[in-house]
Amino acid sequence: MSELSGLFAPERVAVVGATDRKGSVGRAVMENLVADFEGSVVPVNPTDDRLFDRPCYDDVAETGADLAVVVVPAAAALDVIESAGEAGIENVVVITAGFGESGGEGTAREEALVDLANRYGLNLVGPNSLGIISTPSGLNATFGPRNAESGSISFMSQSGAFVTAVLDWAADRDIGFNDIVSLGNKAVLDETDFVEAWGADPGTDVVLGYLESIEDGEAFVRTARDVTAETPVVVVKSGRTEAGAHAAASHTGAIAGSEAAYEAGLDGAGVLRVESAEELFDFGAMLAGQPLPNADGVAVVTNAGGPGVMATDAIGDADLDLASLGGETRAALADVLPQSASAHNPVDIIGDAPVERFERALEVVLDDPAIGAAVVIACPTATLSFESLAERLTALGETREQPVAVCLMGGSSAEEAAETLAAAGMPTYFDPARGVRSLEALYDYRAVRRREYEEPTTFDVDRDRAREILERVEGARDNRLGIEAMGLLDAYGIPTPESDIVDSPGDARRVAEGIDGDVVMKIVSPDILHKTDVGGVEVGVTDADVADIYETLITRARNYQPDARILGVQIQEMVDFDDGVETILGLNRDPQFGPLVLFGLGGVFVEVFEDTTLRVAPVSKSEAASMIDDIDAAPLLRGARGRTPVDEDAVVETIQRLSQLVTDFPAIVELDINPLVATPDGVVAIDIRLTVDPERL
Amino acid sequence: MTLLVTSTKESTGKTAVALSLARAARERGERVGYMKPKGTRLQSSVGKTLDEDPLLAREVLDLDSQTHEMEPVVYSSTFIQEAIRGREDPEALRERITEEFEGMAEDTDRMILEGGGSLTTGGIVGLTDRDIAELLDATVVLVVPYAQPSDIDEVLAAAEFLGDRLGGVLFNAVPDAAFDSLASDVVPFLEGRGVRVFGTVPRDRDLAGVTVAELATELGADVLTSEAPTDGLLERFVVGAMTAGEALGQLRRVRDAALITGGDRTDVVTAALEASGVECLLLTGGFRPPEAVLGRAEAADVPVLLVGADTKTILDRAENIIRSGRTRDTHTVERMGELLRDYADIDAMLGA
Repeated sequence: MSELSGLFAPERVAVVGATDRKGSVGRAVMENLVADFEGSVVPVNPTDDRLFDRPCYDDVAETGADLAVVVVPAAAALDVIESAGEAGIENVVVITAGFGESGGEGTAREEALVDLANRYGLNLVGPNSLGIISTPSGLNATFGPRNAESGSISFMSQSGAFVTAVLDWAADRDIGFNDIVSLGNKAVLDETDFVEAWGADPGTDVVLGYLESIEDGEAFVRTARDVTAETPVVVVKSGRTEAGAHAAASHTGAIAGSEAAYEAGLDGAGVLRVESAEELFDFGAMLAGQPLPNADGVAVVTNAGGPGVMATDAIGDADLDLASLGGETRAALADVLPQSASAHNPVDIIGDAPVERFERALEVVLDDPAIGAAVVIACPTATLSFESLAERLTALGETREQPVAVCLMGGSSAEEAAETLAAAGMPTYFDPARGVRSLEALYDYRAVRRREYEEPTTFDVDRDRAREILERVEGARDNRLGIEAMGLLDAYGIPTPESDIVDSPGDARRVAEGIDGDVVMKIVSPDILHKTDVGGVEVGVTDADVADIYETLITRARNYQPDARILGVQIQEMVDFDDGVETILGLNRDPQFGPLVLFGLGGVFVEVFEDTTLRVAPVSKSEAASMIDDIDAAPLLRGARGRTPVDEDAVVETIQRLSQLVTDFPAIVELDINPLVATPDGVVAIDIRLTVDPERL
Repeated sequence: MTLLVTSTKESTGKTAVALSLARAARERGERVGYMKPKGTRLQSSVGKTLDEDPLLAREVLDLDSQTHEMEPVVYSSTFIQEAIRGREDPEALRERITEEFEGMAEDTDRMILEGGGSLTTGGIVGLTDRDIAELLDATVVLVVPYAQPSDIDEVLAAAEFLGDRLGGVLFNAVPDAAFDSLASDVVPFLEGRGVRVFGTVPRDRDLAGVTVAELATELGADVLTSEAPTDGLLERFVVGAMTAGEALGQLRRVRDAALITGGDRTDVVTAALEASGVECLLLTGGFRPPEAVLGRAEAADVPVLLVGADTKTILDRAENIIRSGRTRDTHTVERMGELLRDYADIDAMLGA
């Protein structure tokens, strides 16, 4: 995608479909543009000679504009865009609706639109967009009710109505913007393009987004990873719940996508995810206005005991560190505070505190090297003026390198102070919990910045053999493979027990005799997903019993599902589970984010415990190691209650090997190794099932 | 010389086999006639009240016989009820069949007869296919499906039932997984028991499936997409009653399938558009999906059908349509002709 500066800072904007008809979109866009835009604005409408006191053009091609805003009816839009492209206008905002969102003809029209954009290399926003705003040039090419205040937040939204709502709401809270984009149908430019553009834009300190879907998750992750190393990106991704996903699918026609995939994808991209509009802008204002913490400890300075406790709980909930204050700090506080006050964290400077006590106490705690951030809580008292507190905090903010969350726990009496602080980039809150949550955003983003992305390891594997096994699916009735595909793991260096699949009792006996000790026998049928549920697995079978058990397994499977295809019975070496932990290692290829590697506590109760974690493949060594950290059962692997710890390196390597397998073969759309038994001596994959899309082989 | 094509079960490919044999005989210069003494296929969701097989036979074989001549007895549920009440005279029926048969056989070198339903259909009036074979002095070609060795019990029972009227057995629609063991183990076994095997015809996609357009017609469904192709073959159905989270995983496992789900299950529908094995969306309950969703379906070349009935009813009807595997057109007969040439001994069948 070419640079988007021409989109946000054009010199001459043509409004195609401009009109002075009251209540029309064409008029609203003209009015908004004429009001503040530094460059020139020209109307295009063949039925008028003059509009808004300026000459009106018949054709966008004659305007010499470098940005065309299209508001003509859908049927005429394609001709306009072709004409613009032909005339070398590279930037187009299509406000017109009646494209993909309306189905039928609209779908075909959107395809044609994409073709035009590709042919002329257009930076095209929309269609079905509210428009764009860029405050540095005063550009307001929307039909929204008002312009935005200037600031360093850039915001994109998949919902146009949400943009108008935010404009109104943010103005009251002194939240300013650099650029705002209503993404519309995202036919050409999508969230990835804007994240990239804003990451490179010095005027943007924070990127915020309201998204219902991500068009190309893999590209988004790649791009956002680079951007978030310098610029924080915060996103509300709606459709989190089953019902929400359903509503989002109806709204845009996009696949709901798995919530877990978004979670993993956004996290992998270093994007902070929030759940509400309020949090989105809380995070935005904090990240835009305040520095990142330089130490882990958080201090609370309050003139009210109860709210101090609330803040302390919130710090605990957020997994932040309510630091113990050092001896020097406590001594310095004792000098500042009356005897009845608390010189421990939370620092309660008690209700009679004048503003000077607030200021000095805060200075003392911020001098403590263990303190990286502070929460200031002020309740209205006779001795405290919110306005003078605001002035002192503003001055303090200029000299300190730590972020402060200011909780002014008042109503209208706090308004003026809040404005003063907001103007200095210090957001304020009523609820201490909200203030703490915003500080948490700074800590979360600090962790993102500290990430180091390393190249995934490449192992020596047998790709040809793996391909050969995957191709077997072509002869099957559906897209599934089971333990008959265990060789796939072997080809990628993932240890499997010695085993063979047989289709007669005699062969079963012969194979079992060739394996040391007792064996495990499993029915092999792509139609039976949960083998243990149907009595399709027998463990610890002696050589003498093998033939009988063979018959038993076949009979059980037949009784359970008479039409199941039974490929035979697998005879497998017994693996000693005693010192081992059953884990699950798998893949789910998400439509948006591509291959997601899953690791967690395995066995038959995997659905019950749901103790699993996901990463976007390819997974590097450190990411693989972090997957173990992520699961609740990590202590089990590390020797809880006197057990011998499992070979963690082997687990990490196996995760990476699977990551390589699923990256090498996009045809694998789903895969579970369950269990993957981790023991002190290594790992061994006991069972596998996978889904292969033959069209991607 | 008369052949009777019958089967141990319904919907095993009798019509396609019978008409293919008739065409093969005609290609050898024989004058061929066709008759289905007991017609069965009466019901049709779109109001057709006649058995379609004789009509297809007329088209394929270019015959000018009337339907009532080719199908003298209509073995309908009313007929069966009347027969049980003693209001049908078996002797008169035999005479009617013989009369029509002789009328047609007069101008032909060979008559091809098609059994009605299965081998034992017609027992109520003493007109099983064995009785028909005796009555009209026909040699029986027994078409049987095969999935596993235990199916052979039924073949042996049928052979015993038909006695020396049985010319031989033709295995049809044999799944790939069973094909090799059928040829290597089962055929020699049957030959050893004195049952001749004319051939083993593998399951063929063209014959097993039903096209999206045919499904729409049979169900009386509205096709909501305009560009998405409707000539894709469907072999099975999958019901979208799962949660949105499970939908994609489950739908990705299927192949050549139509998804049946409520038109209001947008979450399942959008997941289906990501699964390459789902060839068609069959939406129930009369809920038209949002236009944005239809647009996505159109872009993914997946046709969308809409019906008013509920999912359970539509699943039953749709499965029936696939199961009945009806010989729909001349193309089906041509395809079966090719399969017989490749996998069966046509000379033996005609000479039998």
